Amino acid sequence: MKLKKKTALLASFTMGALLLATTALADIASKSGYEELKDAIKLTAERGSEAFDSFTLDFSMAMKDNGKTLMSGNETKKFDRKTGATESLSSNVNLNGYTNSSQTYSDTKTMIRVSESDPTYYVTEFSKEREIESFNNPFKEEEAADVEKIIDAIVGSLKDHVVITEKDDGSKEINGSLTEVQIPALVNAVASFQLKQEFNGNHNQSNMPKLVKDVFVKQVTGTAKVNKDGVLESILGIAVLSGKDEQGAIHEISVDALITVTDINSTTVTKPDLTGKKVVRHLERDYSGSEISNPEKYLGKFKNDILIEKDGKFVKIGERIIDITHIDTIKVTGQYHEEFKPGFEEYATNTSELSFSAEFIKDQRGNANFEYTTKSGVKGQGNIYFDDYQGKINFNGMNTSYEGGLMFDSTFSPDLD
Amino acid sequence: MVVFQAALLNELEKLYKKKKVLVGILLSLAVIVIGQLVIVGVRSGFGLRGTGSVEFPMLVLSVVVNTILPLFTALVTIDSFSGEFTQNSMRITLTRPVSRFKVYTAKIMAIVLFILGALLLLLVFSLLAGFIFNTNSATLDSLGRTVFSYLVSLFPMTVLALAIALLANILRSGIAVFFVSILTFLGLTVLSVLFSQYSGLFLTTHLDWYNLFLVNSFPLLKILRQFLIMLGYGIMFFTAGFYIFDKKEF
Amino acid sequence: MEKVIEIKNLTKSYGNGRGISDINLDIYKGDIFGFLGPNGAGKTTAMKIMTGLVRPEHGDVKILGYSVTEQYEKAMAKVGCLIEIAESYHYLSAYDNLKQLARYYPGIDHSRIEEVLELTGMLRFKHEKPKKFSLGMKQRLGLAAAVLSRPKVVILDEPLNGLDVEGMIDIRKMIQNLAEKEETTFFISSHLIHDVELTCNRIGVIYNGKILNVESTSTILKNYATLENYFVSEVERNGRISSSAS
Repeated sequence: MKLKKKTALLASFTMGALLLATTALADIASKSGYEELKDAIKLTAERGSEAFDSFTLDFSMAMKDNGKTLMSGNETKKFDRKTGATESLSSNVNLNGYTNSSQTYSDTKTMIRVSESDPTYYVTEFSKEREIESFNNPFKEEEAADVEKIIDAIVGSLKDHVVITEKDDGSKEINGSLTEVQIPALVNAVASFQLKQEFNGNHNQSNMPKLVKDVFVKQVTGTAKVNKDGVLESILGIAVLSGKDEQGAIHEISVDALITVTDINSTTVTKPDLTGKKVVRHLERDYSGSEISNPEKYLGKFKNDILIEKDGKFVKIGERIIDITHIDTIKVTGQYHEEFKPGFEEYATNTSELSFSAEFIKDQRGNANFEYTTKSGVKGQGNIYFDDYQGKINFNGMNTSYEGGLMFDSTFSPDLD
Repeated sequence: MVVFQAALLNELEKLYKKKKVLVGILLSLAVIVIGQLVIVGVRSGFGLRGTGSVEFPMLVLSVVVNTILPLFTALVTIDSFSGEFTQNSMRITLTRPVSRFKVYTAKIMAIVLFILGALLLLLVFSLLAGFIFNTNSATLDSLGRTVFSYLVSLFPMTVLALAIALLANILRSGIAVFFVSILTFLGLTVLSVLFSQYSGLFLTTHLDWYNLFLVNSFPLLKILRQFLIMLGYGIMFFTAGFYIFDKKEF
Repeated sequence: MEKVIEIKNLTKSYGNGRGISDINLDIYKGDIFGFLGPNGAGKTTAMKIMTGLVRPEHGDVKILGYSVTEQYEKAMAKVGCLIEIAESYHYLSAYDNLKQLARYYPGIDHSRIEEVLELTGMLRFKHEKPKKFSLGMKQRLGLAAAVLSRPKVVILDEPLNGLDVEGMIDIRKMIQNLAEKEETTFFISSHLIHDVELTCNRIGVIYNGKILNVESTSTILKNYATLENYFVSEVERNGRISSSAS
């Protein structure tokens, strides 16, 4: 009897443990629809940035009030990872009912933009070939793993609402649907408040109804299609917000968003044909590098005027002239001298004629400290800065005392005459 | 069976006479009143609907299932075991013609009935409050789901009670049991956030398992897995708890 | 004669060297058995095993033919007991305390509860909670609980603890009454030798966890002037002198 009891207890405990262990293993092994969806998104992002040669992404969204379209937008983006070219076509109808559409093309050397409202093709040409990664994988960012954990925690038990159905051809459909009972009340409240603020914000003349009472999220549904390689083909999300306006009329505002990935490896990005079109070109200088581009353009003379103030007027008494004799990305040498008009020669000082030589400071674009030697052999130090943006030179350092009302000016413009 | 009924009746009478039931009712009502006030505040203050008539009970459930219900369960369980151990009043029952197995089971059963009572009370009052104060959004389907959600929440609470009963039989002091329970609860909550892929194994996650019954597609497999995991825990906790209880000397 | 309690090879040792070893005892129907021994001799341990509060290491106790360790419910069905201190739920009234216990016995109803309360002189306190009771009142309530079920066997550990003289007399009368009229068998431990002498008709001496001797009171009083003399000589005979038979 006693032994029997012990045996029974042991058996019962073992049974419980086994039940727990086997089910737990099964539970860990089984992938929820939510996990599958995450995997598909990650895989798609990874392939898009690393494996696919080309693909087309299509985004479209529409907002409707009781079935009447308030606004819509559509954007088609074509990526060619091999050439780095992308093309995007977008068309929108905004809340005020205005439509506009535009087209953008860009590759490593050019960017072309045209819109419906202004049929001019704006062409930007880059002085230096750009390094563009046509599609960045967001999951490679440093914070991605943490963000994912936070999202997992927020999604919480809603994960279980994601359902997966496998098709015969190996593709999968992932569905999720939440109605008002299923959305946690707190989430619903925060979301509806956010949306209400957003909608009622500053669209004074828009078609958007102003919701003032009983605002709540009525429904959220989502559908995603994953092809047999595990790549996301499309993802559709619909959210319905319900509320009453000042007159007490009920509005159901639905927002639909659809993203599709198509033409994997068969997308061709074509540069727009500009023949016969009105074209505005401009050269985009690259200001972002750590060295000035085409330094040889600075070879030659730069000058400014030497002014004094006399009898309440500015009077030009001569010119300061810099002559850059050598420049590359590392070094710059040249001469500086001042030429005075007859009658003002007495303004000349011992630094009125000197030669200088400088090395560019690393990672400080166009900035260099120089040493100079005057005609009489006195040495000194100064700073020169090549301003790519204005096309001018800043030249400083001769701590001359400008006596007799000489105006100080360190900016030199190119002497192109 | 007659003996078990007597034991169960005794446990229930003790619960009732200790004013536990009264405290339970008052706290449950307080939750509903506060909840309803918050909703009304949100509605008039922010222009949000807050909750509809059926969502209000769900809001109440989602709050109590992670707060006062586990707390109540812990307090009642600790009192039923640790309380009687320290006052030696366990002897009163144990020297009667009733086996320790029946005493243990009756105690657990009384706690389960107490939780069930609390759940039903919350359900009825929150439904009432929901219908009186909130926009009507009820459909038969959502009403049914709400009632069902309350009922299935009893199961994880039972497992929780079994876990605490085991703890109460291991540790001597009721206060120690209480703190260990709270710390474990918090610990598991944190763990289930950090290791969300394993969260299906933690009892703290199971408290929310009623959500599974709300899913449109009715994830039967997932529900079954969660049920079996809880059942496994329950059997282990019960067996281990009873084993220690049976060996105890008074 | 019919054996009511049968204790066989009962052994239980505690870490501090205390406990009982190899106790054998037979109690017969109608006995008022006195269990005598100094503090720590193992009286309470033996009685806790008899009532199932403690499990023995070896041996067994049979009450009315049923093993306490294996058929507990049957063994205890006709047993009333009071072990160490009379416990009660302090948040339940005296009446409710007894009502709780009454549920375990078929046929014990409201009138029987009143009856035992009357018997122990507790009827006027029936709606009061034991929180406010004196030690003696708690003891009376404990005795009422012990005899509530009209038991055939009553096991009492220090039943006169905390009682005044009047109470002692009352309880002694009650015990003798039950033994005579209902043939209830009693198993009583006490440190009050004089009282045991007056109440019990058989006496067993336990010392250091062992039973030294079992003898009927009348036989003892034939050979010894008092029970105390017998007790001291029994203990001395077994080696050590105990200064008092507390």
